Amino acid sequence: MTSLILRTKSFFNLFGGINGPKKRMTLFIVVPAIIYYLILRYYPVFQTMILSLTDAKLLKKEYQFVGFENYAFIFKDPPFVKAILNTTMYALATTLFTVVLALILAFLLNPLPYGNNFMRLLFYLPMITSGIAIATIWLWLYQARFGLFNQVLGYYGITPVPWLISKEWALPSLIIMAIWGGVGYDAIIFIAGIRGIPTEYNEAAKIDGATDWQMALYITLPLMSRVIVFIVVTSIIGSFQVFQQVFLMTRGGPLDSTRVISLSIYDYAFSRLKIGVSASMAFVLFIIVGVLTVIQLRMQREDWEL
Amino acid sequence: MSNAFAFRTLKKLHLLNYIIVGLVAATMVLPFLWMVLTSFKMRGEILSFPPSFFPKVWTIENYIDAASRLNVLRIYWNTLSVAVTKTFIQIYLSALLGFVFGKYDFKYKEIIFYFILATMILPFEVYMIPLYRMMVAAKWGDSYLALIVPMMFSAYATFLMRQFMFTIPNDLLDAARMDGAGEWFIFHRLVVPLCKPVLATLVSFYFMWNWNDFLWPLIVISNKEKMMLPVALSGFVAEHGTDYGLIMAGAVMATLPVVVVFVIFQRYVVQGISLTGLK
Repeated sequence: MTSLILRTKSFFNLFGGINGPKKRMTLFIVVPAIIYYLILRYYPVFQTMILSLTDAKLLKKEYQFVGFENYAFIFKDPPFVKAILNTTMYALATTLFTVVLALILAFLLNPLPYGNNFMRLLFYLPMITSGIAIATIWLWLYQARFGLFNQVLGYYGITPVPWLISKEWALPSLIIMAIWGGVGYDAIIFIAGIRGIPTEYNEAAKIDGATDWQMALYITLPLMSRVIVFIVVTSIIGSFQVFQQVFLMTRGGPLDSTRVISLSIYDYAFSRLKIGVSASMAFVLFIIVGVLTVIQLRMQREDWEL
Repeated sequence: MSNAFAFRTLKKLHLLNYIIVGLVAATMVLPFLWMVLTSFKMRGEILSFPPSFFPKVWTIENYIDAASRLNVLRIYWNTLSVAVTKTFIQIYLSALLGFVFGKYDFKYKEIIFYFILATMILPFEVYMIPLYRMMVAAKWGDSYLALIVPMMFSAYATFLMRQFMFTIPNDLLDAARMDGAGEWFIFHRLVVPLCKPVLATLVSFYFMWNWNDFLWPLIVISNKEKMMLPVALSGFVAEHGTDYGLIMAGAVMATLPVVVVFVIFQRYVVQGISLTGLK
């Protein structure tokens, strides 16, 4: 009996091992943190799981379980299937072009003796500006008749491009904008990656008569593979959650050609008020992002030094 | 011979690199420049052929108009007060948690730490709807409590603070304890000053994120008087979509404060990006 009491006591003695002031401070911050994460993160995720199996409406309390009906519905719902395809396309194209351009840029920018810092400052601009302000600017750049792009094309006698208003061009337009917004950041990370490589490798290659491009391609690039993988995966994960630009610029149109997963989640929850359906979509997004994250953690295990 | 010499000089000066990088840098700046120039143009000039690059007549009419329609001072104050409060709470609590996780030993420490860290992988959409229902149930709709309380802690900042704590020698803390310093004193007077660089980085990043935050404020704040800047701007664009001078003036006003903060804290932002891969 005593041992049982002792064992129970030690089980509940969460913060055993330290005493006095340290214990008080630990209790003071760790207990609220646990409660916070339980109530405001884990519980809502669990609730999303539950809601995805119901016919819940946004402003109604009671709901009924409908099994996997929502999932059956969304995978047969053409706009949502389109949204998955569009988001995948957007994430892959944006990441591919951004990473390749950023790598080239990093190799060109790194050896420059002057103006390096100044130019890097310019690359930060898209990063620090709010997505909505950027979308506003690009809405104007892409404007069909008076926008800068079509004015310039017109000046050279090229047929104007119906950027955001055509089914074919709307998604590529958003991708171009995302590449513009991401290339500077990626390049800066890559420069840090290049500088982190010990110089001995390149010096040895130079003695053996390697050219700059050979050194970049066969020495620096392979040594940077970790940084590149990190950027590729985090960039795909981030792009899968794209929302602001689409919300402001096209609202998923024309004809669902730019509909993305997050926009569908938002629309179903806050326009159509069907949070059951919305929750099932959110859960699909969670699975996609979760799988990508697991891949990333697997590939970078040593980097985390936990 | 002279050709080869010229080529080598060119290479030494990295001329080609400068041209390409310069072009990319110009591409980065051009949209912002175009925004600023458009905002100073008269309505008639914006929608005219052939287009002009610089305004023929400079006007601040768009700004006066946008400032009053956007209710810009009010919106600035809303956004600034929420962003500052949120940033302070997030970074203070993360620093404290990071300190405890980095410097103390207690039972289940690792498990609790992973329990917190794991939330980093959750896309916001996955807990957004139940969180919104909670806010409604708590009658926090249209209240800044809904913006601040559910975002009080940050797993990312906690993780980075904990990493930074490892660089502070334990002997230093023990020496202070020997001299009779309490744990709170040690945290505030010893640890926090030592963490200044990483704190400055985190504060500048979180301030920018909080200032630019969109989806959550869009959902929980619907009262125009209480709106955050990006949400107000998106409504403004939806309302005045074809009046480009006006919406560009609005976009300039939304961008300016963050650029100012960035210029002031530049050093820390740059450090933050290259040191931690923070985004």
